[in-house]
Amino acid sequence: MKIPETKRWIVQLDHVSKIFGANEHKTAAVRNISLTASLGELLVLLGPSGSGKTTLLTLIAGLLKPTSGHMSIFGRNIDLYPPKDLQALRARQIGFVFQTFLLIDSLTVIENAALVLQFTGKPKSDSQDHARRFLKQCQIEHLAQKFPAMLSQGEKQRVAVARALSNNPDLIIADEPTGSLETKQGLHIIRLLHEYAKELDRCVIVASHDIRIAELADRVLRMEDGALLDTCK
Amino acid sequence: MHSIRILISQPTRLVLTIAGIALCIILMLFLLSVYHGVADGSVEYIRQNRADLWVLQRNAWNILRCSSILGTAHGLALRQIPDVHSVSAVLLLLSTVKNGDQMATIYLVGFEPQTGLGGPPHLVEGRSVLHDDEIVIDQSFAAKYHFKLRDVVKIQDDTLQIVGISAGTNAFVIQYAFVTLHRAQSLIGFPNIVTCYLVKARQGKDLIEVSKEIRKEIPNLEVYDHDTFLKNNIHEMESGFLPFIYTIAAIGVVVLTAILSLLLSVNILERRKDFAVMKTLGSPKGFLTFLIIKQALLLSLAGSITAVIFFFPMIEGIKKISPEVSAKTSVEQIMTVIFVAMVTSLLSSFISMQRLRRIYPLEAFS
Repeated sequence: MKIPETKRWIVQLDHVSKIFGANEHKTAAVRNISLTASLGELLVLLGPSGSGKTTLLTLIAGLLKPTSGHMSIFGRNIDLYPPKDLQALRARQIGFVFQTFLLIDSLTVIENAALVLQFTGKPKSDSQDHARRFLKQCQIEHLAQKFPAMLSQGEKQRVAVARALSNNPDLIIADEPTGSLETKQGLHIIRLLHEYAKELDRCVIVASHDIRIAELADRVLRMEDGALLDTCK
Repeated sequence: MHSIRILISQPTRLVLTIAGIALCIILMLFLLSVYHGVADGSVEYIRQNRADLWVLQRNAWNILRCSSILGTAHGLALRQIPDVHSVSAVLLLLSTVKNGDQMATIYLVGFEPQTGLGGPPHLVEGRSVLHDDEIVIDQSFAAKYHFKLRDVVKIQDDTLQIVGISAGTNAFVIQYAFVTLHRAQSLIGFPNIVTCYLVKARQGKDLIEVSKEIRKEIPNLEVYDHDTFLKNNIHEMESGFLPFIYTIAAIGVVVLTAILSLLLSVNILERRKDFAVMKTLGSPKGFLTFLIIKQALLLSLAGSITAVIFFFPMIEGIKKISPEVSAKTSVEQIMTVIFVAMVTSLLSSFISMQRLRRIYPLEAFS
C-alpha cells in the first residue's frame, strides 16, 4: 500500500516568519515561508550569506520559535512541544552537521560519534559499539581513538556526519556542510547524506551557498533576504 | 574521562588550581589540628586530675579565665567535713621565667607533692616535683627555650632546677609549669593564699551530697564535680578560641569556593561552543550539570590528596620553628575537612552553572 504523500511529511511550515528585535531595530530573518520536507528527500536551501538559511534550519530544528505562521515537525505543532521534549526530539530524531564540524576537542572520534547516543540514555559502551558502525560507513573506523585535533578537515567532517547519523535520525539538518572542505571532499559528504536519505528513507535538509550541491538534491529552494525565491527539482 | 581531559587540557592552570585548593584545605586542617591541640593542652590538666571535687571562690567556675582566691583556713574547714577524705591546695599564677636575656610567661601551678593531686598530668621525662627548688616544665616550652632536664631557671630571684618535662600542658598561648605549693606561695609573698582545693571524698560517698555538705558548712564557695568542672573549662576555652577558628576556617571555605567557581566558570566559557553544540545535539540538562560537578569533585579530590600529602611534613616543620604550636590531627578531622571541600566543590559547581545556563544552542550556528 502506498503511503499518502502528506503522511511522509516530517517538516511542514505554513507562512512562517521570524523577526528579531523590536520597533525600528526589527529584522525579518525569515519571511512568510511555506514548505514541506518528506522522508526519502534531500532538500537543499540555496542562497548567499545572510539570506536566512541558518535561521530557517534552526526553526526546523525547534531551536527557535516562529514569530508568526504555523510549523509542525514530526506531525506535531512546534508550540505543543515542551522544552524537554524538544531536547529529546533533537537527541533521538534529528542529526546535525555544522560548517566548522564542531567536534568536541576533548573527546576522541568514537566518543564524539557516540555522544548523541549517550544523550538518549544509552550506556557508554553500547553507544560506542553502535557508533563504530557509522564510523565504518563513513570509512573512518581507523580514526576511532584519535582526537579531532589530529584529523584533516575532510576527516573531521566525516566524523561530524557519523555523529549526525549515529542516532539513526529521521531528519538531518546540515548547515553549510561543505563550506570548509575542498570540492571533492564536499561532494563526498553530500553523497553520504544523499545515500542516507535514499537508502534509509530519511529526510536531509542542507543549507548551502554552493550551487554544485544542487546536483544531488531532490529539490532546491532558493532563498534571498529571508524569503523563498523559487523551488526547482 | 571527559572531565579529566577538560581539566588536563590546561596543565598549568590545573596545577595552580589544585595548589590553591590544597592550601585552603591545609589551612582548614591546620586550624582544626591546632584547635584540638589547644583544647587538649588547655584542659588536659583538669581531665587527668583525680580529684572528686574542685572547690573555688564564689563565682569562679573555671581556672582558665577566672580569679579565685581562697585562704588556708578554707582548707582547714574542708578537712573537718566528715565525708571529705583528703584536701589538696593548688595555687595558680602567671609568672615570668628568665632565661638569660629572654623572658617567658608561664602558668605556674603550685601543688602539694605529698598528695600528687594537681601535679603534672603526664611526664615525658624525669619526675614530678618533690622539693621547693624544683620545677617541671612543659615540653614545648622546653623545646622553645632549649631547656633540658637538670637545667636551672630563674623565677623572680629564685633558682629552680628542672626535674621533669610534662606533656598535655601546652595551652598554645601559655604553657603550664609545676612547683611546690610552698614555692608558689612564696613567689607571690602570701603564704596563706591558694586558688582552689582539690577534694577527695570518702569511698562510696555520694558526691552531690558531699558538695551540698561543703556548701552548707562553708558558704561563699563554688563546688564542682570533675565532669562539670572539665565542661566549664572546655566551654571557656572554646568561647575564646572557637570564634577565631571559625572565622579563619570560613575565610578558607570562601576562598576555596571562589577558586573553584572561577576555574569552573573559565572552563565553561572556554568551551562555550562545545556546550552550545551539546545542547543543540539534545544533551539532557543533567548530562552537562554532571560534567561540571564531576570536574569540581575531581579538583577537590586532587586538592585534598595534595593537602594531606603536604600537611604532615608542614606541621613537623612548624613545630620545629614554633614548638608551642600544638597540633593534634585525627582521621576524623581529615575526613571532615575533605567532606567540607567536597560540599564546597558542589556549591562552586552550582555557582558556575549560571554560566552554563546562559549558553544557548543557537550559538553552535554562529
